[in-house]
Amino acid sequence: MTMLALIILAPLMAGLAALVLRRAPEAIALVGVGIGFLAATGTLAGAVADDAVQLVLPGLPQMPLRLVAAPLTAVFSAMVATVAAFVVVYAVGYMRSDPERPRFFGILLLFVAAMQTLVLAGDWITVLAAWELIGFSSYLLIGFWHRHDGVPSAATRAFLYTRSADLGLYLGIFVLIGWAGTSEISATLAISGTPALVAGLLLLIGAMGKSAQVPLQDWLQRAMAGPTPVSALLHSATLVAAGAILLIRVTPMLPAGALIAVGLVGGVTAVVAGLIALAERDLKRLLAASTSSQYGLMLLAIGAGVPVAALLHLIAHAAIKSTLFLGAGVFQHDRDSTDMDAVAGAGRARPLVLAAFGIAALALAGIPPLAGFFSKDAILAAALAAPGVVWLAPLALAGTVLTGAYMARALRVLWQGEAQPVLGKGMGWMGAGMAVLTALAAGLGFAFTPLEHLLEAELPPEGTAMILGLLAALSGLVLGWFIQPARLMGPVLPMAQRGFAVAGGMDGLVLRPSLAFAAACEGFERRLLASQLGLVRILSLGTASSAERSDNRLYAATLQVGRMNLRLGDGAENTDTHGIDGLIFGLVARTIAAGRRLRLLQSGLIHRELALTVMGIAVIAAVLLILPMSS
Amino acid sequence: MTVQMIFLAFFGGAAVWFGVVVFRTHSMVRSALALLFSQTAIGAMFLVMQAEFLGVLQIMMMATEMSVMAIFMVMFMMDPGGMGKMDMTHQKRLSLWVGVIGLLAALLLVWLPDWGPVAQSVPGAHEQAADLGRELLGRSMLIFQSAGLTILTAMVAATMVAIVPNAEQRK
Amino acid sequence: MILELMIALSVGTGLFGIGLYGALSQTNLVMIIMGVELILAAALVNLVAFWRYLHPDEPAGQMFVLIVMAVMAVEMAVGFAIAIARFRVRGSVEMEEARELKG
Repeated sequence: MTMLALIILAPLMAGLAALVLRRAPEAIALVGVGIGFLAATGTLAGAVADDAVQLVLPGLPQMPLRLVAAPLTAVFSAMVATVAAFVVVYAVGYMRSDPERPRFFGILLLFVAAMQTLVLAGDWITVLAAWELIGFSSYLLIGFWHRHDGVPSAATRAFLYTRSADLGLYLGIFVLIGWAGTSEISATLAISGTPALVAGLLLLIGAMGKSAQVPLQDWLQRAMAGPTPVSALLHSATLVAAGAILLIRVTPMLPAGALIAVGLVGGVTAVVAGLIALAERDLKRLLAASTSSQYGLMLLAIGAGVPVAALLHLIAHAAIKSTLFLGAGVFQHDRDSTDMDAVAGAGRARPLVLAAFGIAALALAGIPPLAGFFSKDAILAAALAAPGVVWLAPLALAGTVLTGAYMARALRVLWQGEAQPVLGKGMGWMGAGMAVLTALAAGLGFAFTPLEHLLEAELPPEGTAMILGLLAALSGLVLGWFIQPARLMGPVLPMAQRGFAVAGGMDGLVLRPSLAFAAACEGFERRLLASQLGLVRILSLGTASSAERSDNRLYAATLQVGRMNLRLGDGAENTDTHGIDGLIFGLVARTIAAGRRLRLLQSGLIHRELALTVMGIAVIAAVLLILPMSS
Repeated sequence: MTVQMIFLAFFGGAAVWFGVVVFRTHSMVRSALALLFSQTAIGAMFLVMQAEFLGVLQIMMMATEMSVMAIFMVMFMMDPGGMGKMDMTHQKRLSLWVGVIGLLAALLLVWLPDWGPVAQSVPGAHEQAADLGRELLGRSMLIFQSAGLTILTAMVAATMVAIVPNAEQRK
Repeated sequence: MILELMIALSVGTGLFGIGLYGALSQTNLVMIIMGVELILAAALVNLVAFWRYLHPDEPAGQMFVLIVMAVMAVEMAVGFAIAIARFRVRGSVEMEEARELKG
């Protein structure tokens, strides 16, 4: 259980540490992949000992996340861990002088963790999540040197092409989960009938995207814009393998119709991609097209109903193609380009590297006793034994011939030319990584029989296949070495050079519509935002202005109230001062005036007083006398 | 009764005439004497109206009083002899009017009402005096006692006002 | 008989008028007192006339006369006392100069 977790956690932690700490990324990366490698081998040993481990984690309701270390998944996991470990070793030397090493190693390790999650997945939700993650980390890694011309667009193209195919994967998984009622892979493989056919075809579409099958092969060519270790790891052994791995795992479910489709797609890809590879003028792009072609052969094997053959070839191809890429990386380091004209003769200056390259090339072509021989034979045998042998076998043979041809061409280019002086920087690491993988490429064939026993699978009899395969391989090698591709391919050459782009290719069918749609969405969103803002602005301004108006009215009203109060106060004051006070003071003044006038009576003169007295008496007397008389 | 009437008219007229003289003459002494004669005439009228006691009383009292007054007049007046012929009056018009109006009003009061039946017989002098005495000591005792007190007070007051303590006088 | 009453009363009114005129018009205090004497004398005449011609049986009439006479005497006494006092202060009893009580 712990080892299973470590397979994923070790690279994950190492990746995060590299990104966060930004110090000694190589050391952290080596530690991460080293632990992962050990854990994977341990798990494989455990699976060999019939000790299948399952890890259940809580996920969506009734759809928990599962990691399964069955023999099949353990083999895949071990493959991924091995290739990853030695590519990282190589990358230590390759990326020696790059200032952005922490980012590189961090993302690379995160990719490794995601890939391991994908191969060890036990339920579809995990598959989906990991699928997305590897696609995203591939985008980041392809676009690693994003300041170079054309690199960001290449990364975007690659991402968009694979994403457009991922739709098939989503729909297929939904069908599977919906029909089976659970997300556990092994349970969903039990369905049959129309849902199985539909799901199978949809999954095929997804696999075609990831594994760069026709018509979705162009992205892989463009992915070569990334650093060589990325090409070696992602685009030869792991990411592109995801499609094939997916199909290998669901083969028990695929009905005959789906299998036919798989086989045809694979076969056509094998031939078409092979032609493209032959016509290529860039070494890495040649290798990329070759990858497509080899995966086509694998799909052909699946379509023939022998997924084991595909698996064997997958493993062998992983070791072979990574070796080839690493070698191409060395030559790229020497000549600062991978163009055929640039690397011409680069092999002469590095005999060891060329020897390794040669071993891997021959292995790919299918020369015994190298690993590719056994796997090619298995595929041919499967094709010959298949129900659709009529078209599968010729396609397989043609593919084999082409494999030999373009590999021979590559070798010839590398050999024939002028040797130039080379710098020896970082060769130690690169050489170490390459050496192990070359050894695997050479010797893995001998592990195939135990593998077959482990997976409890049987290969069809290989007698005819062996002979046919050998013939095809040799003829291919000879053709490729001696005859120029122009003459070999004839009228097909221009189309092949353009990558057999149909109806504008992926550019016209996928990229431009997607980008146009994205631009339209952005415009729509901007207009929506503007209108919303406009609406909001109008609303808020309106509210603000009405609030202001009501505020003004309130203010005016308050002012009026205040003025009224002031007037009241003034009025009261006026009444007080002029009215009441006036009244009172007037009264007082008049009283005083009256008093002053009355004072005149007080003359102090006796005669006046007497006169007044007399008059007063007269009045009283009159009153006293008249009143009784009148009443 | 005609005799009484004639005497009454005579003495009445004399009283009035002398009264006028009091205020028209310039001499102070003559003024006092005129007043004396006026009062005496009034006393005579009393006698005519068969109020002997009152008449006698009136004449005696007034004679004394007027003599005193004559002394005082001589004391206080600027021109007792009246040789200067100065007009010693003020607010003549006012007082004239007041006097005339008072006179007319009184006349009106006297002549208008009906005084009722006139008494024919009068008690004799003896009887009058006896009745008066009885009245004085009986019903009107309180009145006269208070009158007596009042007179006493007046006398004391007058004396006090008239006399100045020796000390002040000498200053 | 009634005519006698009328004559007496008329005399009284005449004296009253003269006395009033005199009391108001004279400047000298003594003259004023004389005027007042005349008024009082007029009252006496009226009193006696009323007693004699209307109620001769009533001694109260004569009583009244006695009281009036007493009042006359007292009034003269007090009046002359004031006149002396005034003369001492001012040197004359002219009422025209007596403005001390002017308000």
